[in-house]
Amino acid sequence: MARKALLISPERCIGCRGCQTACKEWNHLPGTKTVNRGTVENPPDLTPYLYNRIRYIETATEADMVRWLFVSQRCMHCGDAGCIKICPAPGALFRTKEGAVAFNKEKCIGCKLCVAGCPFDVPRYDDKDKISKCHLCYDRTSEGLLPACAKTCPTGAIRYGERDALIGMAKKEGYGKVYGEADLDGLGALYAFIDPPKLYGMSEKPAIPESVVFWHKVLKPLAYIGLGGAVAAAVLHYVAFGPKKDEEVKKDE
Amino acid sequence: MNKMVRKANAFEIVNHWVLAGSFFVLAVSGFGFLFQLEQLNSVFGSFNTMKVWHNWAGVVFIVSLVLTIVHYLSVSLRFTSDDMEWFSKAGGYLSRRVKAPPQDELNAGQKLYYLVVLVAGIAISASGLVIWLRPASSDITRLVLISHLIHNICFDLLVFAIPAHIYLATLANPGTFRIMVYGTVPLEWARKRHQKWVQKIGV
Repeated sequence: MARKALLISPERCIGCRGCQTACKEWNHLPGTKTVNRGTVENPPDLTPYLYNRIRYIETATEADMVRWLFVSQRCMHCGDAGCIKICPAPGALFRTKEGAVAFNKEKCIGCKLCVAGCPFDVPRYDDKDKISKCHLCYDRTSEGLLPACAKTCPTGAIRYGERDALIGMAKKEGYGKVYGEADLDGLGALYAFIDPPKLYGMSEKPAIPESVVFWHKVLKPLAYIGLGGAVAAAVLHYVAFGPKKDEEVKKDE
Repeated sequence: MNKMVRKANAFEIVNHWVLAGSFFVLAVSGFGFLFQLEQLNSVFGSFNTMKVWHNWAGVVFIVSLVLTIVHYLSVSLRFTSDDMEWFSKAGGYLSRRVKAPPQDELNAGQKLYYLVVLVAGIAISASGLVIWLRPASSDITRLVLISHLIHNICFDLLVFAIPAHIYLATLANPGTFRIMVYGTVPLEWARKRHQKWVQKIGV
């Protein structure tokens, strides 16, 4: 199956937060009490009960014009996902056939390593110590429905479809570079930015932490090599030199 | 009938088995987590249960490791010229003709091994506690990543060192294993391997 993705276009977003609400409704996520921080942006961050959130960014561009940007923040569904890589529990984090990164709370052991492995600070833990994040509505998409956020978006700021087609669409609309086109083997949440990603609160070069890559490529195989090496060395030593028998020790004298 | 001398007391023997047992549970479940070995579900039931075993075996391991300090630390920190010679001759393990220099209660290799286990054991325990007890916040990501790295480096070290220790204490040196069962060894055996110790206790 061709990989599916979201295309998020902040220039089309009117900040209505219908996607935030639709997501909560479909996923049965409870509301959270927040405080007035003097901004429309609310809640201030992703929570275990908020998979998708609109960031409101006030910024002055080089032309000295104040701009108000609305950007959907959520799991990026990385092609090479740090969370899946570091997760010790099989099936807790998994890739759907549409290419999304989904989770199974029953298999999650609550170790929270995925929080450290994620390049985008996305995974949250609920009150039962289980992972919680956007799963690209795989319970809808597997049945041919749109994700709740894309379904409800009134302006087409969140579009869902075949990843290649979405990239082509964004390019045709005049976006030279699509954020997430190649990073981390391609993100499953693509962003059509007209300005540098930093302006939208996104890292320019997202990457899995180097220590996690080192662990995966070197330390993991070394565990087998070390154990096997110790056993092999023991067998070789036993065959080549043999045990230190008491009689032999005596003879040495 | 050979005269026997006591090499380990009951506390030392029991504690060694507790340390070995907890390490075995930790290493098996550790491999399970490292490579997502679902076959281990037939032993532990589920990865959730395996995590409980791994964490609490870790607590047992920490207590047991701290208790070993009483028995082995002071002797392990005393390296003598005989010990240096022991290392240069590889303890006589790599030739049938080389004779190792006289050794203390622990030989030079055992001293080094103990220090490695103690340091790696403390490091793997401390990093394990961080991973276990951390809050879900991403503010401490750097600490968690460092702990994850230390935990795995120590694991690699220990899964090499401990099978080597088991080989050296069983097949490679017949007569050694009984220390962990009876605590005693024949006097003649002790004279050959721990000459300085036998002189010290004056049997």
